[in-house]
Amino acid sequence: MSSLQIQPLATLSPPSNSRCWQSVPHPSQPLIATACSDKTVRVFSLTSFTLLHSISGGHKRSVRSVSWKPHTKGQSVLATGSFDASAGIWRRVERGPEEDFTRHGRDDDEEEDDEDYQFSCILDGHEHEIKSIVWSPSGQYLATCSRDKSVWIWEELEDDNFETVAVLQEHDQDVKCVAWHPEEDLLASASYDDTIRLYREDQDDWVQVCCINGHSETVWCIEFEGSGMGEKDFRAQKGELSEEQIQHIELLERSGPRLASCSDDSTVRIWRRQPKEGADHANGHAGVPSIIRSFSVDEEWVEDAVLPQRHDRVIYSISWSRKSGLLASTGSDGKIVIYKERWKEQISNGVTAAGVDKVVNGIEAPSRHRMTEWVVAAELYSAHDVFEVNHAVWAKRCDKGRRSDDEEIIVSTGDDGEVKAWTVEEVKPQAGG
Amino acid sequence: MSAILSADDLNDFISPGVACIKPIETLPAHPPESNSNAYEVTTEEHATASQPRTPAQISLTDCLACSGCVTSAEAVLVQLQSHNEVLSTLDAHPSLRTPWLAHNGTNGKLNNILNGVNGHYQQEGKLFVASVSPQTRASLAALFSVSEVEAGNMINQLLSGASGLRASGVHGSDFTWVIDTNIVREACLVAAADEVASTLSPDVTPSSSTGFEGAIDTTPKQPILTSACPGWICYAEKTHPEILPHLSRLKSPQALTGTLLKSVLSQRYNVPPSQIWHLAIMPCFDKKLEASRSELTSTAWLPNHDTTHDPVRDVDCVITARELLHLASARNISFSSLPRSPLPSSSRIPFPDPSIDAFLFPPRRKNQSVLAGPSGGYMYHILRTYQAQHPGSEISESPGRNADVVVYSLTQGSKSIIKTARYYGFRNIQNLVRGLKPAKVSKLPGARMGVSRRPGGSSAAARESVKDYAYVEVMACPGGCTNGGGQIKVSEVEEVRALEGIQSVNRETTVGRPGLTEQKEWLRRVDEAYFSGSDEESADEDGDLNMVEPEASKLNGLLDEDVVNGISRSYIHNMISHWSGITGVSTQDLLYTSYRKVESDVGKKKQSDVERVAGLASALGGGW
Repeated sequence: MSSLQIQPLATLSPPSNSRCWQSVPHPSQPLIATACSDKTVRVFSLTSFTLLHSISGGHKRSVRSVSWKPHTKGQSVLATGSFDASAGIWRRVERGPEEDFTRHGRDDDEEEDDEDYQFSCILDGHEHEIKSIVWSPSGQYLATCSRDKSVWIWEELEDDNFETVAVLQEHDQDVKCVAWHPEEDLLASASYDDTIRLYREDQDDWVQVCCINGHSETVWCIEFEGSGMGEKDFRAQKGELSEEQIQHIELLERSGPRLASCSDDSTVRIWRRQPKEGADHANGHAGVPSIIRSFSVDEEWVEDAVLPQRHDRVIYSISWSRKSGLLASTGSDGKIVIYKERWKEQISNGVTAAGVDKVVNGIEAPSRHRMTEWVVAAELYSAHDVFEVNHAVWAKRCDKGRRSDDEEIIVSTGDDGEVKAWTVEEVKPQAGG
Repeated sequence: MSAILSADDLNDFISPGVACIKPIETLPAHPPESNSNAYEVTTEEHATASQPRTPAQISLTDCLACSGCVTSAEAVLVQLQSHNEVLSTLDAHPSLRTPWLAHNGTNGKLNNILNGVNGHYQQEGKLFVASVSPQTRASLAALFSVSEVEAGNMINQLLSGASGLRASGVHGSDFTWVIDTNIVREACLVAAADEVASTLSPDVTPSSSTGFEGAIDTTPKQPILTSACPGWICYAEKTHPEILPHLSRLKSPQALTGTLLKSVLSQRYNVPPSQIWHLAIMPCFDKKLEASRSELTSTAWLPNHDTTHDPVRDVDCVITARELLHLASARNISFSSLPRSPLPSSSRIPFPDPSIDAFLFPPRRKNQSVLAGPSGGYMYHILRTYQAQHPGSEISESPGRNADVVVYSLTQGSKSIIKTARYYGFRNIQNLVRGLKPAKVSKLPGARMGVSRRPGGSSAAARESVKDYAYVEVMACPGGCTNGGGQIKVSEVEEVRALEGIQSVNRETTVGRPGLTEQKEWLRRVDEAYFSGSDEESADEDGDLNMVEPEASKLNGLLDEDVVNGISRSYIHNMISHWSGITGVSTQDLLYTSYRKVESDVGKKKQSDVERVAGLASALGGGW
């Protein structure tokens, strides 16, 4: 039974007359950047839902993906990944009241351009379409992936001076998406080869540390859980927790942020890292200790959950709220689905009670992996009419109507060229719903 | 589902244009699986996917060898070069023995004979010659736990010995000569140092009579970049044409060996190039591509080349260590049981020209010192050449961002004489290439130029440093040529040893996919074998940096200016002029080659008629 309701808030205007791929909220400003197949990036205000800037003239083909650089001071830095195989870096001075802005040696029409995003450098190297681009949470690294099956990691040594630190060629097919772990320099990539791969720096080389096989079709999008979500999601409500629930929370803490993935196989899955320290004895886990590497950087990621299947076509995008832990998915069937994680009811349920007994006896409980369950909290059909929805993302609500500082909206991006904002509201349970 | 789906954006799907040559290399051993998904375009992809994953370090080179670099025509040429090709050629032709004794010709007579030999005669016999890279010997040495010299002897025994290929086959054909490419490399090293000197010389005029930037008669721009690595050349020609003016014009040791053999034997001893069959055994699949270059054929050096004759390649076939083992087993020869001793000197057939014979078959074999690195030691030789010319100068080494980048500078007191660097591996090549790009080119055309908010720019300074190098030894493979794509991989070691019927020497048996540690350990052993032939002390097992100290006295000692690193410049110069003299070919045509921008149609979609019509229709407001 749904407990949330997705309601239309606004359609960002003007809409594009060609397909839009992805919309990414600015890390600090009330802005959202939309990657568009008309070779532009459109930057909208999240306060007025209107177009502020159209970044054009850089790419020769569709801009497929964008990423805002985190922690920038006095300027906004946007990275764009395009089907023209190049990535662009764009800057715009954000003029705060204290900003001393000097201009010299520039002619008049350039002065007007100060308002615009300035192209500042290009990253060449991929042979084919770039599918995804994303800054690491520290802003030190930029990851790109491409149809050329490779994942590149770039390091910005100083402004506009990028170095290629790794070219990872583990995937056998088109790489659809890259994502960074929120706390560690750990990169994940998802591919048409149905796998998710994780990479980490070992000595001075980035190497694959894990390959997750679990989806049976193309993995379109991956996203890590936010940092410190234990304080915000279902785990936040303390008190009256059972022994094993407390153990489960501890396990999640040691695992760190989880990874969500969505696929052509119409499923959304959650993956959790097996904690390394004491994994062999304390938890009595069956994992065979690595005989291959003496000092292993390998990680083991296990399936934590398969979310209820509500999409009947490709799921293109997922977004894991940093505020609430709610997960949103969208895809080819035009639906937006919101999922919520909660404790499984244990006492009243005879099936899980057996698992509890095992834990009490000190033997590993298979059911421990399923201490929680994901339920569908809201569903919205035909979010973009008959069109596919390419992307949906949680964003901070900034318009006048917002009800609290923490309120979040969902912004969806569709094949119809529209970018839509949606509110997510609690609904009173109704009989027969 | 989408109503506005347009052909322009059908890019989330693999198209046949993105075929990779990796499958070509592996297809013979792994036929495509039949259960491939109909939606996936190439069955080759599945052949690749179904194999155990290539260790990460090695697979980095694959990007250099993939779709963007190889046209289908080239792919066919590469495919033709296999151990089967070697076997069928040996079976099709008897060995041509000492033909120069039969006709003692001169330059003048050559062309007549060449034209006369059209047809039947050509088919009769071939003079089989092989050249073997030191990295291949090192790979086999590590595999069979023998010394590099012994591995070389085993190869000689296979190719020329009584118990080798000669023992079977239709004609009992075998190889008349087996040449160590290290020997010919000495000529490359001296010429490379000369090339750097001419580039750095103040009165250099970088103009070309033919007018294109990669031409044979241009002096390369500083920094000169090594051109001996075919993967790198392939990538540069197809992806970074702006780099071509920097490429060394020098032929690789493989190519130079071919030119030397074919030019001398044809111009002086009347063996037409087409009757000389030159096999190279190399650490690298991309050497097959190099052998297929139209620049490296008889056309380049035959005077008065008759265009009605097909150009003959300087290197007819390239195989790798693994393929050499296939070659042996195809003739039921167990490579591991071949004698490890050298061939008896009585059976040696001298090269007809005594000077070149002395050059090609010196009594003492020399190998690279550890400091020269695993890829032939170009940069090191250049440094040492400059050091010899500047008494009292010192070489200092500074490690780069990773193990595959090292920067060297030669200083005399406070004065910097020359700076060089080593850039191995694809990711480092990216940074090198980016550093060499003129600033303007790196901007997106048509975009509004941003104004750098940081004046002056320390980034500009960082880019300058790459341009400051006189020479950069560029190799596509991380770890250099001993880690070449054609070397026996750590994952193959047990399998090959089992096939050869030998036990693993170490008790460690790798289970499943070997990890990075095993990879590095295997590479260390190949490196150890590679450097073991050195007449200086053998490789320190702990790695490179430690070796600088004990070597320092040797490195910085006073050296005879002529003899650099054991190679006499004047001897090499004399040999080259002798070569040019007896063949009547200019040294430029013998030693140098050219590069060209290659236009790839990969990724540039060719519009089909349907798409064009559809485009027109939608432009007119219509639609399908």
